[in-house]
Amino acid sequence: MAIIGVGITPFRARYLDKTYFELAYDATKLALGDANKNGAEITHNDLESTVYGIYNELFERQFMPDIFTNSYLGMNNKPGTRIASGGATGGYTVRMAYSEVASGLSDLCLCIGLEKCNDCYDEQTGTTTPEVLNAIAYSADMTYEYPMGMMAASSYVSMVNAHYDEFGNPTEEQMAYVSIKNHGNAKLNPKAQSPMDVTVEDVIYSRIICYPFKMLDCCLYSEASAALILASEQKVKELGIEKPIWITGVAAANTDCFIGNRESVGRLYSNIYAAKAAYKMAGLDYNKIKEQIDVAELHDAFSGQEVISYEELGFVPFGEGGPWIEKSFEKPGEGPWIDGELPCCPSGGLIGCGHAVGATGIMSTGEAALQLRQEAGKHQVKTIEKGRAIAHSIGGPGAAYAAVIVMANEEGLKKP
Amino acid sequence: MSEENFQEHEIRDRIVIQYKYTMGGQSKFFIELMNNKKILGTKCKKCGKIWMPPRINCSECFEDTDWVEMPHTGTIKVSTIVWYTTSAFIQSVPYGIAFIQLDKADTGMLQGIFSENLVPSKVKKGQRVKAVFKKKEDREGKMTDFFFVPEDEYDAWIAKPQYEGGS
Repeated sequence: MAIIGVGITPFRARYLDKTYFELAYDATKLALGDANKNGAEITHNDLESTVYGIYNELFERQFMPDIFTNSYLGMNNKPGTRIASGGATGGYTVRMAYSEVASGLSDLCLCIGLEKCNDCYDEQTGTTTPEVLNAIAYSADMTYEYPMGMMAASSYVSMVNAHYDEFGNPTEEQMAYVSIKNHGNAKLNPKAQSPMDVTVEDVIYSRIICYPFKMLDCCLYSEASAALILASEQKVKELGIEKPIWITGVAAANTDCFIGNRESVGRLYSNIYAAKAAYKMAGLDYNKIKEQIDVAELHDAFSGQEVISYEELGFVPFGEGGPWIEKSFEKPGEGPWIDGELPCCPSGGLIGCGHAVGATGIMSTGEAALQLRQEAGKHQVKTIEKGRAIAHSIGGPGAAYAAVIVMANEEGLKKP
Repeated sequence: MSEENFQEHEIRDRIVIQYKYTMGGQSKFFIELMNNKKILGTKCKKCGKIWMPPRINCSECFEDTDWVEMPHTGTIKVSTIVWYTTSAFIQSVPYGIAFIQLDKADTGMLQGIFSENLVPSKVKKGQRVKAVFKKKEDREGKMTDFFFVPEDEYDAWIAKPQYEGGS
């Protein structure tokens, strides 16, 4: 099956003029427009089902926000199913939409993520973020972990610190390079929330969040919606789609959400299992994946976590993620930079675009698809020669959820 | 629709739910913590794995476990110091948290690390720590009834009027 349409709203700190379902409408309309530009002639009435990626009811101030979105999108009397898998909600939503089409239940499926977090408001500080973080913190184990003041950053930093204890990296400088890369890439993406020129010093001396993560190591919470239209192979032919992007591998893995139960704390096991399974499904090799794909849209919630992900997704051996980005700085053709050997997060990723949780993994998948269509805009990577890309989502307590999506354009399907 | 001179309308709202939450099979852990300053783990009847926090069933063997009393000492596996956080905890920064492996345990649990010198060189992997408890009248049968301190600070912490050592 293929992605035939991509619709992504701008990622913004706050939309005062849109509710979550109004944002979803915008993304759906953009995705339909994109599908029609891509050869289809469809309206929302042609969509047979919807899979909703919406992480957090507390953000939306509405439990079961999917059914209200379903009404607003004019999708009444068709099946709509919600997925909620923490930060990885987007990736898991793509996987479920894939299942919807692969099973034959639908030939044309709307896969949409949405999130609007910054209506949360902390009266005591007069700011939004602490209340957004609190709404997220209820995803930690409520008995043993929430009462200790656990939150997203302190959860992720545990794995990064343990990785550092084991391998001596990522160092604070190496993490800063991820921030430089993704904030820099965001300057080329008009939909990104945090385009910025930053230096290693800017990152290291930015406000400390939890040791050793600083503010510029962390993504900002964002509001946005992103939609994909998935079509069966038969439907792709029937509609005469010009540039279908075929989904060739989808996999997810839930590792133990209790970090203390893991064999090694310095691993995001969910990444490893999801990546191996997705590559296998796509006929690719975990040990050679860097040479087999053109671009990767990664889930960089935190700079240090992107560095570990390089290793777990098979780009570089364990312990070499930090040096890979540091040593390739300003060396075209090397490393994960936009002009590097494997551009990672050319869109700016979460650090550059912002993290609109349910929408994020769908944005990443859509961005990777647009790269393979050579239609990504100013942040288009130079060489699409293998015709293959991956999108990666991770989230949940201790980054317990991970999903990896492998996709290919027409040429990528034919290449070994 | 795009409206010229759009003016937003925001309302104040909140979602509040109250609970009388049962700790179920884990109840004994919290009762013993509250009443007797005991830290109980569980040991799988089949594989012998010691779970901390406790589970009344072994998730690996699918067998029952037995309660076992744990030592009050352990080692930090990984830690951080938090300087910016959720609305519920922002008045408490900075605070240390760590995954601690109690001696004898096969898994690590998250707990607060208190220190007179809350710096990364003190709150780090391999640091030996010991449990300190709130006074009986302040204990509620929750994880916040106790915390850990570096072993060399233990005597100073239990000398404070609001805290005490274990039995």
